[in-house]
Amino acid sequence: MRRAITAGVTALFVTLLALPATAQFKPIRVDQTPPMDSKENYVDWMKANRGESEKWLTQRWNRYVAAVRVGDIKTDKMKRAFLLTPREVFAAGNPPVKERGYEHAFLDMGYGVTMSGPHLQSRMTDVLDVKRGDRVLEIGTGSGTQSAYLAQLTDQVYTIEIIAPLAERTRGVYDKAIAAGYEELKVIKTKQADGYYGWPEAGPFDKIIVTCGIDHIPPPLLQQLKPGGVMVIPVGPPGAQRVLKVVKQVAADGNITVTREDIYGGRIVPFVPFTKLVDGEVKGTHNR
Amino acid sequence: MALKASAGILPDVDFDNRPSLAFYLSVALIAGCVIALQIGIMRIFSVGSWAHFGSLVVSLAMFGFGLTSAVMCVGKPWFEKHWRGAVKGALLLFGPMMVASNLIAQQVPFNAIFLVSDPVQKWRLFANFVLYFLPFLCGALYLGVVFLKAQKTFNRVYFADLAGSGACGLLFLLAMYLFRPQNLVIAPLVLWFLGSLLWFVAVSDRRGLIQTTVAAVLAVGGHLALPPLLDIPKIAVSDYKGVAYARKFPDAERVYERSTPFGYMEIYDSSYLHFAPGQSDNAAFNLPEMPSRAYRGMYIDSEGPSGIIKQLPDSQTAYFRFLMMYYPYVVKKNPETFVVQFGGGLSTAMALRAGSKSVTVAEGNPMVLNAFLHDDELKRFTGDILGDERIEVIDYEGRLYAARTKRKFDVIDLALADSAGLSQPGGFAIVEKFSYTREAMRNYMQALKPGGVLAVTLWNKEEPPKSVLKLYSTMVAAARDVEGQDVADRFFVGASYLSTATVLFKRGGFTPAEVETLRKHTAAMSFDEIYSPGFKADLSLLEPTLKGYHDQFFYDGAPQDPLGSDPALERAPTDAAPAGPEGGDKEGQPQTVTVPKVPATDIGRLWWHHLIHGGIEQVANRYVFDTRILTNHQPYFAAYIKVKDLLKFTDRLELVQDEWGFLLLWATLAIAGVAALTLVLFPVVFGWRTIFSRYPGKFGTMVYFLCLGLGYIVVEVGLISHFMLALSNATVSASVLITGMLVFSGLGSFVSERFLGRARTFMPKVFVAIGALLIAYGFLLDPVLDAVGTLPYALRIIACLAIIFPPAFLMGFPMPTGMTMLGRLGKDHMFLWAWGINGSFSVLGAALVPIISTSFGLPAALLVGGIAYLVAIPAFYRVLLPLPGKPAIAA
Repeated sequence: MRRAITAGVTALFVTLLALPATAQFKPIRVDQTPPMDSKENYVDWMKANRGESEKWLTQRWNRYVAAVRVGDIKTDKMKRAFLLTPREVFAAGNPPVKERGYEHAFLDMGYGVTMSGPHLQSRMTDVLDVKRGDRVLEIGTGSGTQSAYLAQLTDQVYTIEIIAPLAERTRGVYDKAIAAGYEELKVIKTKQADGYYGWPEAGPFDKIIVTCGIDHIPPPLLQQLKPGGVMVIPVGPPGAQRVLKVVKQVAADGNITVTREDIYGGRIVPFVPFTKLVDGEVKGTHNR
Repeated sequence: MALKASAGILPDVDFDNRPSLAFYLSVALIAGCVIALQIGIMRIFSVGSWAHFGSLVVSLAMFGFGLTSAVMCVGKPWFEKHWRGAVKGALLLFGPMMVASNLIAQQVPFNAIFLVSDPVQKWRLFANFVLYFLPFLCGALYLGVVFLKAQKTFNRVYFADLAGSGACGLLFLLAMYLFRPQNLVIAPLVLWFLGSLLWFVAVSDRRGLIQTTVAAVLAVGGHLALPPLLDIPKIAVSDYKGVAYARKFPDAERVYERSTPFGYMEIYDSSYLHFAPGQSDNAAFNLPEMPSRAYRGMYIDSEGPSGIIKQLPDSQTAYFRFLMMYYPYVVKKNPETFVVQFGGGLSTAMALRAGSKSVTVAEGNPMVLNAFLHDDELKRFTGDILGDERIEVIDYEGRLYAARTKRKFDVIDLALADSAGLSQPGGFAIVEKFSYTREAMRNYMQALKPGGVLAVTLWNKEEPPKSVLKLYSTMVAAARDVEGQDVADRFFVGASYLSTATVLFKRGGFTPAEVETLRKHTAAMSFDEIYSPGFKADLSLLEPTLKGYHDQFFYDGAPQDPLGSDPALERAPTDAAPAGPEGGDKEGQPQTVTVPKVPATDIGRLWWHHLIHGGIEQVANRYVFDTRILTNHQPYFAAYIKVKDLLKFTDRLELVQDEWGFLLLWATLAIAGVAALTLVLFPVVFGWRTIFSRYPGKFGTMVYFLCLGLGYIVVEVGLISHFMLALSNATVSASVLITGMLVFSGLGSFVSERFLGRARTFMPKVFVAIGALLIAYGFLLDPVLDAVGTLPYALRIIACLAIIFPPAFLMGFPMPTGMTMLGRLGKDHMFLWAWGINGSFSVLGAALVPIISTSFGLPAALLVGGIAYLVAIPAFYRVLLPLPGKPAIAA
């Protein structure tokens, strides 16, 4: 136990160091959108309006291009959200992977938790189709990236983490990021609890995203989902996950039905695992 | 050459003539220590990370023997001159090295699930291999030098080697009761300490005795004192093992812990544990009260959890109805029920609550049964479920009970046996699942009353589905064995997407009214109907579904997006903004012809259609994975990748993470093949024209020892899997087999000395007998082992040992006979080389067995072994060729 606490404190310390105390980033307003027509314009605009480094902006742009090309990001609001989410801040939660935030692969965040890759996260977020004003609940805060992504789409994000030291570490990441200027993250409300029971005081929710392994869908979550609401749950081992989409419908007679389907609506999509953009082409283990 | 010792010049020792008992005991104990270390490392991997990586590491570490022999073969004069120093160094390092290697390896744990995505993991795996290789190198060096020094009496030394290995294998089994996994390394340490002391007694080296004692104190002290001192773990349990999550729950409390040869069992209590395998989503809106804090989590070797359900108050038992495994009780009221596997007790609790008149419940794992029968705290939690007056407990495998009992049942339930509630990435090894084979299903079906229902529930979490398709095919094959060709009205199948699937089989067929009842239940629960008598599958979905699954893995071209964007976009310039999919659709073209809604559900329905109405072979051939039925010869929910597709997956491993256990077998085979050949060729390259130039029959000699190494291990490892039929537990089966084979072969080796004088005529008879026995065993073992499986556990072990005795005894003859002949003919280099070839091909053979078993069935391993011994006959005569100018020895 002592060891776990020591490791947690060390990781927290390193995380806080990952965000330069001197660097003050500027918040981006809801009505501001970075240019999406070319890397140069995007990087210049972000440097001027946000103050992030070219290194991360370039990596973010490249991953963005790959994700759009394979269809993981489709809409303008998703494009904007992706281009404004600083994944590097959250990857730094676990120092050994701090340089890898924009890789396709899922990353080890410690505590037996992975940070999903940008493609899977984008795909799941896309399926949720979050509209501004939607109330969204995330079960499994983990690295904090998913909620940060959601925070670019709506102003009501609730996230629950079951592992106490991880919840504390990620809360620390948010606080430091907000202090550094990422003020959009203020909309994220966190709590350490058993996500099985949801967040009844904050519900009902328009969307729920569950990012931890389960053998059944927790009934409290279905109860806290609004009629017509959507829940997404990745199932299976990291790297080869299928994403289950659950839709709750209430008929005129009050009869409630729940349907389960694959997030592609059943279409089988060729997987594009662990890709990166090299010389303008999506390179991955599929593209020999 | 003699070393100075405190007592002065050490006396010369001649191990070729009447060596002391201490010498033989030393060989036995050190050989036993090597075996104990092997099993110990595999146990440490099982508990800390993943068992099959343990097998890989141990297999490769065993090449320490091959490497030692190759080096000794080339540097023989040096070793003959410095043998005392070499042995002393090896022995004094062996113990401390075990502890140091293990402790350091635990500080560089590698994580299987990141093996592909994180380059560092490969190096961590490599570091583990190197670290565990070092102690084996010490053991191998000791044994190599001893064999070299005692080559003319090799039979006896070999007897000591084998008997010691065997006996210590059994001792280690008992040690597992004594030591927790983190301290298991102490068992081989004790053997090493005693073996080393005896060695120094045998060579009259008093200083060696003191040095050994110091080394032992350092080793044990290091193991016990360093971890708390340096704040490092003795065993690093991966964060991704089931138990690691439970330990992190703030209110987690371990309420039960037991270390046994059947595994390391822990039970945790926490409000954070929730189970409801296959629960209907409708439970959320229709269930008045969800059970709270209803479960504890059972973990075996850190894997799990399996849910242990508490005694629920009446107000909460409505919950059972919403679980998929409730299906049989929808059509059977007040049944006599047989639960095939107790597990965590959920099926049994449900059977009782569903109003069963009687519940017969089997559990083949004594560790689990013991906990539920005798632990007071657990009995209190479960309301002493096994003490219910309606319960009858069967203390062996349910499938064997079903085969033997005269009783007939209304309901037989096999639900989620051996399976954890949550999918644990990376933890899928090749495990025999005899409870799900065609033979087992046949037995369950035959143990039903007329109109009785068999219900089999399995996880349905794969996309594309694999296990459930195997289950469907297996059950239909078994039904046809029992009820004839037309089984269309015998089945009803329900499933929930990415949750569970239940197959119901009814003797004599479901009535239309029952089908209607089941359909209504299915609809009420929002489950998917996969098959029912008269069910019409949408055949137009077959083509797109099969093609979709193929493309999911083997799509050849630019990545597509889900809405069908134009692949030409992939060639857009780098820095230009990417066109989104919304711009990609071609005007005027329909998006799709037929869109399967949920592929896994669709393929399930199509599978059943073709199973019942014919044509399943063509569908299976086109399906992306191998879905052969489970039989007692191929009892695997694994090996789904078709052999022809193996290489195609090498660049997309992350897509088949649950197949890594299987792929690792192939990788081990490939690495073992290369390593074995390298080691065999090493002395050849360095000495074919020099060292070996004067040796006649060298190629035949190589074939001889290759056949023995390969043949012996193929039989041993093959039988370990086979004997699971009777012993039901991999560790026990391995220990019994290793012990039995080695001790009996040791005896054979000892007896073989008497026949050395007439080996030329006697040995071919031995080979023919071995070949015939093994081939006969291949065809006849199954029913015998099934019968043995119903005996009390101790009797089962004795019966298994008796079955092993005849071939194992005879298999002890060829190796020492060949080695002694080489020794007596003066082919010294060949002697060392032969030992290395034997060892190297043992490793190769061990890796080969699972491949043979999954591809061709368990008996095939015995046939391969039998053939190897027959091939050795002509090669044996080459071994006997004398050196030029030297007389042939009487043989």
